[in-house]
Amino acid sequence: MAGESTSSAASAVRIVGWQHPWIAYLCSAPAMIIVALFLGFPVLFAAWQSLFDISPLSEEQPFVGFGNYTAVFSTPEFWSSLGRTGIFVFGVVVLGLTLSVIFGFALNRVVSGLRFIRGIAILPYIVSSVAAALMFRTMFNGDFGFPNQVLEFMGFEGIPWLSNGFYAMNVVIFAQVWTDLPLALLFVLGGLQTIDKQLNEAALVDGANGWRSALYISLPLIAPQLTLATVWLSFKAVTSLGTVLALTGGGPQDATQLLTLELVRLGFDEYDTGTAMAMVIIIFVLNAALTLFYLGLQRKLGTK
Amino acid sequence: MSNIKNPTSADAAREQMAPQLPTTSGKPKRSMRRRWYSGPLGKAVVWLPLAALVLWTMGPFLISLSVSFKQPAHVFSDPSLIPDAPTLDAYARVLDRAGFRSALWNSVVIAFGSLIVTLIVGVPAAYAFARFRFRGRHFLLLFSLLPMLVPKVGLMFPLFLLAVKVHGFDSRIFLILVFTGMLLPLAVWLMVGFFQAIPRELEEAAAVDGATQLETIRTVILPLSIPALLTVAVLAFREAWNEFELVLALTQTADSRTLPYELYLMQDSTGLADYPIQNAFALLTVLPLILVYLRIERYVAEGLLSGAVK
Repeated sequence: MAGESTSSAASAVRIVGWQHPWIAYLCSAPAMIIVALFLGFPVLFAAWQSLFDISPLSEEQPFVGFGNYTAVFSTPEFWSSLGRTGIFVFGVVVLGLTLSVIFGFALNRVVSGLRFIRGIAILPYIVSSVAAALMFRTMFNGDFGFPNQVLEFMGFEGIPWLSNGFYAMNVVIFAQVWTDLPLALLFVLGGLQTIDKQLNEAALVDGANGWRSALYISLPLIAPQLTLATVWLSFKAVTSLGTVLALTGGGPQDATQLLTLELVRLGFDEYDTGTAMAMVIIIFVLNAALTLFYLGLQRKLGTK
Repeated sequence: MSNIKNPTSADAAREQMAPQLPTTSGKPKRSMRRRWYSGPLGKAVVWLPLAALVLWTMGPFLISLSVSFKQPAHVFSDPSLIPDAPTLDAYARVLDRAGFRSALWNSVVIAFGSLIVTLIVGVPAAYAFARFRFRGRHFLLLFSLLPMLVPKVGLMFPLFLLAVKVHGFDSRIFLILVFTGMLLPLAVWLMVGFFQAIPRELEEAAAVDGATQLETIRTVILPLSIPALLTVAVLAFREAWNEFELVLALTQTADSRTLPYELYLMQDSTGLADYPIQNAFALLTVLPLILVYLRIERYVAEGLLSGAVK
């Protein structure tokens, strides 16, 4: 016994010996450097470059301060694409949250076969945005698309899904929600599964029915997960590019020309690097502002 | 009702009549426990959303599958879900395209490259964050949240300029490094959680038995971490395999272009939309992931959850 205690003391010394911080720094340095280089540095670089008038056509890169920002804000294209992004994000968040709550509650009821249905529900997560967009382009084709076939079978007129601006925006929202719903749904389901069932039972004993128990007990309890799902859906919608680009390319008549597509147009089509960098920063700020808004909303609703 | 066996969830869903039931203590009588979903309408309330979920998820796949088995000319003349004359012609044409084969190879190289580099760089970092007390530890949260603060669409231009500067434009190695940068935060976050869950006593016991720290990591920690590493590997692979924005920004030729970009370009080059070949291409890019995913879906679902909720 005595021998064991001395050897464990020795090992403690050795483990303490291993606690030299330089080893930890050495271990984590490569990861830190790679992330700083490819995630952190580009943002600072973009912020810095957005203050210069950069064009591949001229050697000079004069400092223009916030000139690029005022240039962006003064174009009607910016404001119209911002408005469309607003509609798009709103649509994605509302539809995405509604579906993840409905599906989440239903999945929470399933006991046997949960893994199977959950497995199906997560499938869109492994589809790339471009592939999803092409699937939706096929599905919502005006001539042979399935929704139109159903409509025509029921005696209605087919809807020009992709050639009408209003409907095209709807299709883009569907496609975006389809690709991003799995994670939002997992958040909601994860939240529901942590709720102590006795709380719902207590509510039932006190005379609430299943609906009221879900609405007044379960939903407030999963507020953090709902916020997380909102932040996630909104983040993905604000920064969505592949889905929209491959599905509509911004058309018809710019009806789905979002901020991100405007960014690509400025940078890669017009080579207006300084302005594109300003746009990058604007998108960052928009994202951060929306996230803070959702967190504030949760706090405000929570204290009520 | 066959699938709803959980008595607690049944309790939770009792009818409005509940106050009249003796529920405060002891077992309520079976016969009294009418459930709100016991009638045909109630059953519909539970099963309709599930049916909708399956339809919502599988619908696009099934329609895509159906179109991919048709001849381009039949897409319009035979709009039914089950083709009159199914053919593998579209798949043969996809596999025949040089663009597809080179993009497939690039995707394989870049996805495996990114996941290997991510694990090699990420495991020591996660171990350091999980086990050592050092100042850098406090960066972990910021480090993990960075991708949520910095969307990829905003990185396209800065990284494009950086790539041009360091001659990394249109290079697979540069893409692997960039993807590693994107993947590391989530990977490290997941693995830190996992390493912290391994009891320290196991390592101490190994140390008592005379193992060096490196041997302990190799023989105790890593074997226990295989589920976590598998989760990270799958998530990393998926991310690299499906990435579009950064590939669009950082590649130009077929030498480094991956499948999503090739698919995006193909829809322009086919002129009049060739729906069968597009859908066959799209499904073929998804297929490898589905095959992997079916085997380890549980790890993916739980890994995603633990990464998100912790």
